[in-house]
Order: sequence, then structure tokens, then C-alpha cells
Amino acid sequence: MASKLAVSHLSKQFGGLEALRGINLNVERGEFISVVGPSGCGKTTFLRIVAGLEQATSGEVLLDGRAVRGPGTDRGFVFQNDSLLPWRTVYANAIIGREVAGAVNAADRKRTMELLKLVGLEGFEQYHPRQLSGGMRQRVNLARALAIDPEILLMDEPFAALDAQTREIMQSELLRIWERGQKTVLFVTHQIDEAVFLSDRVLVFARRPGRLREEVKIALPRPRALDIKRTPEFVALVDRIWRMIEDDVRAAALYENA
Amino acid sequence: MSATSEGAKVISPPQSGAVEDAASRPLAGAPPRRYLAGILSVIGGLLIWEIASRFIVANPLFLAAPSEIVAALYHLARTGELWHHIAVSGVEFVIGYVIACILGIALGLAMASSATVKRAAQPWVSGLYATPTIALAPLFILWMGIGIWSKVIVVVMLVLFPVTINTEAGLRTTSERLIEMLRSFGATKRQIFFKVSLPSAVPFILAGLKLGIGRGLIGVVVAELFGSRAGLGQLISQSADAFNMPDLFAGVVVLAVAGIVMTAGFGWLEGKLVPWTRD
Repeated sequence: MASKLAVSHLSKQFGGLEALRGINLNVERGEFISVVGPSGCGKTTFLRIVAGLEQATSGEVLLDGRAVRGPGTDRGFVFQNDSLLPWRTVYANAIIGREVAGAVNAADRKRTMELLKLVGLEGFEQYHPRQLSGGMRQRVNLARALAIDPEILLMDEPFAALDAQTREIMQSELLRIWERGQKTVLFVTHQIDEAVFLSDRVLVFARRPGRLREEVKIALPRPRALDIKRTPEFVALVDRIWRMIEDDVRAAALYENA
Repeated sequence: MSATSEGAKVISPPQSGAVEDAASRPLAGAPPRRYLAGILSVIGGLLIWEIASRFIVANPLFLAAPSEIVAALYHLARTGELWHHIAVSGVEFVIGYVIACILGIALGLAMASSATVKRAAQPWVSGLYATPTIALAPLFILWMGIGIWSKVIVVVMLVLFPVTINTEAGLRTTSERLIEMLRSFGATKRQIFFKVSLPSAVPFILAGLKLGIGRGLIGVVVAELFGSRAGLGQLISQSADAFNMPDLFAGVVVLAVAGIVMTAGFGWLEGKLVPWTRD
């Protein structure tokens, strides 16, 4: 069976800087893939190229066998900052992707309402973003991406700005939603435990140039509850990935403070 | 369930929480305590003015007391003179203001959407905004006579540029994040303009329109001082010539009230149209 997402020999240059070098990746339908790495490893750039927000210097991205050339509604992007339109209600924010794609019909409206319910925002459809907490805004952000019924969900550190407790809740919420819909997910994060908890596979990126260093299969059973994070298997996986990027992270931290 | 527990933390029953606060933030009707200092300050100021004008200056040729101004206002209103002046100045202001707003928003839009237009118009807009164009009022009166149109032109000149500058700035400073969000759905330039740029420029445009009120009123009055048949500026200059201080101040008070009421009206309108800028 052909891969849902196939990335081959993907490279990206920003002027003289080599942001990404020779990324190869095959993602199966329904897989949950996370990308971790130190800052500057190009993980967000990689996600943005898959989204079509950025052009690769060379190489290609195939989604269902078709080359990605720009943004499109076959991919739903969940932003790090919620990027909600402050003048729109929760509902109007969630449906904007359908609006951009063309006329909104009754089925779209029904689907958007159902998604808001799925992400736990039932009763808040007519609220405005400023009336919501950070966690609730990220739920709208997620519902907005799901509302276009994308083939793949691209998530760029969506929980990074949340406090630790809310982040954990959002992680298990995301798994619950994912297990329901079986969407293919590409999830960028700098939190190793988040990546391990969520994923089928974790891609470990290295920096300078940004490249795929290693791929770690996460064979933990599903469905996963939050207490799995305390099991020795989980801790060992986090530890293993941490050791892979430790030197890189230190170098990145030094570089950034210099 | 985790969904409800996290939601409940913020929303919870109506007695508290961020949601409730934001939703029910009152526009008016706040406790009078907050206004106490302001009210006392105004009353105290008027009192000092009254005493100073009656006992310290004690010369009706130099200063009118608040009580005399109120009497003058009452008298001017009864003879109908006041309404005539207000109507003339009002018409001049409204025509000039509306023209300037339409032109200003249109020019701002053009400058924001075309780099060439912006480069061509920028020196004129910046230059004329910084120039006290009110000094050209005598010239306009020379060209167009002492009727209302010379005043309309002055108002347009004063209001046009803040509106233009704000409209352009509002469109230009649209959040890149929001544009990118829409772009990720494959939005066209046109969709980005109407769904993101224009709505996010509205607070800036309103601020420009608000700024224009004060400048427009100045334009009307000063242009009338240079030469006119009627209007509040004419009332003021004619009263000054006759050393009629109460009438002079009556004209000033009407202008002050007009400025305050219109500016407050805009504040209210902002609360209605762009509530998200309030937090």
C-alpha cells in the first residue's frame, strides 16, 4: 500500500543556512508521528514545507501520491499560537477553513458544531476568543483544522504555550480525538515526553544542518492513559531520545546565549 | 472527564471566572465612586472660575463667570441665534468630515494595496499632515468666498490625513500570524483582505476618525474666524469684537460639548464594533 505521506530527499536553504538536508519519510494512513529536536533543527520548517507554507529547495512531498505545491484543504494546520480571529466567535473561527474553500453548506455547519462538541467546547460556540482560556483556544485551533476534514493534521508545538497541567490534559484529549477519527498526524514538539506519549513513531532531528538523526518506534499499548508516563518503559524511551539530542541541545543553548 | 474538568476551571458557575468577567464587562453604569474625583474636580474648577471672575478679575471685559455664560447660552438659545450658528457650523463640519472620511479611507486602502501608490502619495500625506494647513484658511476664503465651502475645504484638509494614515497603517500592520493561518487553508489574496486585513484595520480606522473630530472642529472655527456670515466661530469673533465675554464663552462651551459628545460617542461605537481591542 502506498504511503499517506511520502517525503523524499527534502532539503531547504535559507540563504547560506542549510535548514534541512535530505529528509526521507514515509507515513502510513492513521499514523501518529512526532518530530523532536533541539531548536534550530528545522522541525518547524519541515512541517511548514509539508503544509505548503514554505517551498523546499529540493526534494518532494507527496500526499496520497500527489505532489504538494502550496497550501490546501487536504492538510489541516494547528498553530503554536492559536491564531484565532478576535472578532469572530468560536464557531465562526472554527468554520473559516470551509468558508475559504467555498460556500458553507448545512453539512459543514453541522460538522463544525459536532467538532466543537468533540473538542469539549459545547455551549461556547458564540463566545469570543478573548473570553476563553489558553487551553480552550487551542481546542478551537484544533477544531478549525479538523473542520476541513483534512487527510493529515499538521501540528506545530500546539501545547507549548500552555501551563503544565493543561498541557497534559490536552495531550490525552488529543489522543482521544485521534483514536476516534484515526487521522494521520504529524506533530512537532520540543517536549520529548509529549512526543513519546502521543506517537507511534518519534523522529529525532539533529541541527546544523537540520536532518533526521534517528527514528524511534513507540510500541507502548493503546489506548494510553496519562499514568503510562510513570511506567519504566516510558521513562526509558524518553531517556533514550534525550540522550540522542542532549549534546545538540547543549550546543543550541550555548549558541543562543552567545 | 478531562474536557469538563479543564473547562470548568475557567467557566464554572456564573459567579466567577474569566468568561463571566469578559462577557459582562459594563460599558456604562459603573459605580459612581469611580467618577467621584472627576466630578469633584470639575465642580471645584468651576467654583474657582466663578470666584476669580467675580472678585479677582472683576472685569466683564476680560472674563465671564460660568453663571454668566449659562445665562448667555440661555439668552442666545431663546432668540434662536444659537441654533442658527450651530446649524451653519454643523453643516460645514459634517460635509467636510464625511468627504474627508470617504477620501481618507479610500486613499488609505489604495496606499496599502499598491506600493507604487504608497510611494507616490506618502510625501504628500506626511507633508500635509505635519503642515498646519489651517494657515491656508484665508486662501480658501479668497478662492471660494465666505460661504460654507471654504470651511468645508479646511475641514477636509485637516481630517483627511489622520484618517488616511491610520487606514493605511491598520491594513499594513495586520498580524502575519493571522494571514498565515488563512493562507494555510489556501485563501486567495482577496479572501485574506476581506477576512483578515480589513477587519483588523477597523480599530485603526476608528481611531483615525476619532482623531479627525477634534481637528475638524478646529478647522470649522478657525476658518470662520477668518471670515464668515454665521457659525460658532463667527459668534466668537463677533463677541470678541464687542467685548461680549459671556457670548464668546458660550460659543466655546458649545464647541467643547460638541467635541466631548462626539468623542465619547466614538468610544461607545468602538466598544460596540471592535470589543476585542478593549482588553
